[in-house]
Amino acid sequence: MSAAPADELSVTFAALADPTRRAILTRLSTGEATVGQLAAPFALTQQAISKHIKVLEHAGLISRSRAAQARPCRLEPAQFEYVADWIGRHRQTWHDRYDRLDEHLAALGEADPDATEEP
Amino acid sequence: MSLPGEFTYRRTHRASRELLFDCMTQPEHLAHFWGPDGTSTPLDGITVELWPGGRFETAMVNVADGSRYTMHAVFLAVERPTRLAWREADVEGGMITTITFTGLENGQTEVVTHQTNVPPGYASAGARTGFETSLRRFDDYVAGLAAR
Repeated sequence: MSAAPADELSVTFAALADPTRRAILTRLSTGEATVGQLAAPFALTQQAISKHIKVLEHAGLISRSRAAQARPCRLEPAQFEYVADWIGRHRQTWHDRYDRLDEHLAALGEADPDATEEP
Repeated sequence: MSLPGEFTYRRTHRASRELLFDCMTQPEHLAHFWGPDGTSTPLDGITVELWPGGRFETAMVNVADGSRYTMHAVFLAVERPTRLAWREADVEGGMITTITFTGLENGQTEVVTHQTNVPPGYASAGARTGFETSLRRFDDYVAGLAAR
């Protein structure tokens, strides 16, 4: 029902569950930035920021250019769109559940209609 | 996008409200349909204490690798045959699921499933990262991306 494996989603959601990383993403929504530029607004070492960036990169939410030595970071909108579609997958979960309920109801009806009133 | 953290699903079934309510609240029924595709929900992994404050727990077992994921919820409302509600406290903010059963003509029943505080991590059972506080910000952010 979904294109990406559940594990990939887990990684992405875990990456998004941190306020510093979301702040980094918000900064990147205005354009590319180097690690140094991203670190500037935070009371964190550049090393700590690098760690957050690695998590975001691993989650597919950002990428780093190889063209320049500073390797600026930029957003990967496709991954955002994929994550944003979670409601569709959630809907599918309930859709499938009620499909199975219908099958169960049909089986009950064939067995014995009265038996369904008992636990 | 839908309102962040809110979810509604409507469905009409060919059964009475009473039977549908019982299907959603009796382990012997739940075991037949509860778990997502690719999982089983064994009877001994289902706990239903059918009163407000009672536990509602379902252990879903991955058929492929045997891993288990358990939903831990507490009933908020138990009003047979019209309304059922539970809250999953281990999801940050508490995800609340309310199911209403409305009788239609011809013996059919409309079942409306409404959830609040839905974290996106719900999409994968292992990923419930307590995300709801950042949902709105994330959604605004994605909307901003789409507008570019």
